[in-house]
Amino acid sequence: MGSVQFLMKLRERIRARYEEYLVIVIETLASAIIGFSIGALVLYILGFNPAKIYLILFSKGLSNPDYLLSKSTPIMLTGLAFAIPMLAGVFNIGGEGQLYIGALISLIVVTSTHNSALGILAGMVAGAALGTFKAVLKVYRGVNEVIAAIMLNWVMYFLTLYLLTEKLYNPQIPHESIPVPEDARLGKIPTPIGDIRLIFFIAVIASLVIYYILYYTNIGYMLRVAGLSPKTAKYAGFNPNLAIIYSMALGGAMAGLGGSLLLIGYVYSIDTTMSTLYGLGFMGIGVALLGRNNPIGIIFSAIFFSMLIIGGEMIELLAGAPPELADALTGVIVIALALPYTYRMLISYMRIRRMMKK
Amino acid sequence: MIDDIISLTSSTLIYMVPLVLAGVGEIITERSGVVNIGLEGIFVLSSFTATIVTFATGNPYLGLFSGTIVGLLAGVLHGIVSVYLRGNQIIAGVGFNTLAYGISIMGLVTIWKQHGASPSVSKIPMISLKIREGLTFTISPLSIAAILIAIGTWYWLFKTTSGLKLRACGEDPKSAEAMGVNVFRTRFYATVIGSALTGLGGAYLTVGWIGQFTRHISAGRGFIALANVAFSNWNPLMAIVGGMIFGFFDVLSIYLPIKIQLIYPEVKITTLAYLFKTIPYIGTLAVVSLIIGRARVPRALGKPYIKE
Repeated sequence: MGSVQFLMKLRERIRARYEEYLVIVIETLASAIIGFSIGALVLYILGFNPAKIYLILFSKGLSNPDYLLSKSTPIMLTGLAFAIPMLAGVFNIGGEGQLYIGALISLIVVTSTHNSALGILAGMVAGAALGTFKAVLKVYRGVNEVIAAIMLNWVMYFLTLYLLTEKLYNPQIPHESIPVPEDARLGKIPTPIGDIRLIFFIAVIASLVIYYILYYTNIGYMLRVAGLSPKTAKYAGFNPNLAIIYSMALGGAMAGLGGSLLLIGYVYSIDTTMSTLYGLGFMGIGVALLGRNNPIGIIFSAIFFSMLIIGGEMIELLAGAPPELADALTGVIVIALALPYTYRMLISYMRIRRMMKK
Repeated sequence: MIDDIISLTSSTLIYMVPLVLAGVGEIITERSGVVNIGLEGIFVLSSFTATIVTFATGNPYLGLFSGTIVGLLAGVLHGIVSVYLRGNQIIAGVGFNTLAYGISIMGLVTIWKQHGASPSVSKIPMISLKIREGLTFTISPLSIAAILIAIGTWYWLFKTTSGLKLRACGEDPKSAEAMGVNVFRTRFYATVIGSALTGLGGAYLTVGWIGQFTRHISAGRGFIALANVAFSNWNPLMAIVGGMIFGFFDVLSIYLPIKIQLIYPEVKITTLAYLFKTIPYIGTLAVVSLIIGRARVPRALGKPYIKE
């Protein structure tokens, strides 16, 4: 009797889980499909052949593993910068500014010390400081984190521009910053799929560490409880405000790490229009949402978005289509990901129809 | 001295228009219980549309109208997502901002083969009052319109039955429903109206003020308008004051470097100007963090209404 009941329970549990996974799969696929359909529509209106553009997007986006993984590194980390505070119930859309300050401080430290580890650490601390500042404004002054984030993004944008053009420019190439010294650059390591940049592996390790912190430590538990229900957190004796501050500091550190890895391990200098950095923080929001705010999911979702970015560059070169297609696609995908309720309704509708047929 | 005051005042009245229009629009939306942080995206998309339409027809009023329509359509999208489909309003707004930027820049690159800015288009003429020889007080007709819209909205929200019903949806939707108000429909229309006003503000950016579309035309203004909503304590009359304060910061960021250059011609101002550009953002953040503590948020703000 008991074993039958147990089996029944197990089946129930699998069925319940199955539905959860189904929602995840449908949600992810639907948002990608909606994204690409609307993207196709926009391309068509602008006078391009969507099929041709998408063919370039996918084939070229995936053709060079090193390029693909290098480009995925900063957005993986800005993805974590959004996901960690999100799990604690805070919207960190300031990954952009945190990435700028991370790259900037790294550049200053690494050019003066010639030590890449010190540069990376400084970038992380800078990003974390900016994140903490926003959290403190929210907790103690009631400032909406979205407004604070955008204001600080723009302050960091102009501050970085100022320092790049006034203090840190390269005398030989005035439209670029002074480069990271040769002896402090991170290189590539050989793998079965070719030489891959070291920074990608650092970002993956960072994702795994964040996964461990979130799901296997007290701090992570506190963050997640505070995010699900601040009241419960209070009952359990956690301070939800502390959770906000920790999550923003941790998130900021990740975006700062993204900025400094990009600089020290890939581009080695920043151009004075900041096109090397612009938009990577915002892209992280899409990365985090598509990865369902899960650090492991974010690794894969970052690679997917990296393909979009590279594809965007390639369609500009080969078909003359604007690279901002990647932004448009990201936007639609993010909007579609805001609708989990709709997909659940869709599933229950399908189930009712199936039952009616029976 | 008097010249400076006159020109600072008139610039402030010109700069405040999008902040007041979007702020008032967002107050309507948020008072009904919906958050739309896609104001920035609406600014970008409607200013871009207004530029295309004005470029093609030569008529800036048509541009202004088309921008408003784009705002309205954005409101329909956000209304469907957040009211009927119960989507996450913040995420949908963030997504819309990215989408609007992507589409607009794609259009800019495809139509004019430019990555930075569109060609100049004709503008709505300013109103000039000649004070004395060499000194005129200039404002846009939209400056007056924005103030009138804010006053009208205040009257609607606080002195009429339909305004009361709208606010009830944002405070306690269940009671509103019991009172016979259709919460879904009210919230939907509030979102559409709010976005249309934002669209008007965005169209003004090009055809009323700057005269061309640029990549960073909005540059966070949509979020400054959001800050204005919190600053105003969800009161359209205070949104006029907020628009003036935040608009004034913006004026200073342009005005100060020019003044400094006049007084000290030897200072290299081009790069230093970047630092002055941070004034509106630092100013907004400072005002918001000093004042916001007393704000009272509509109680059901951002929570999807679920009918039982």
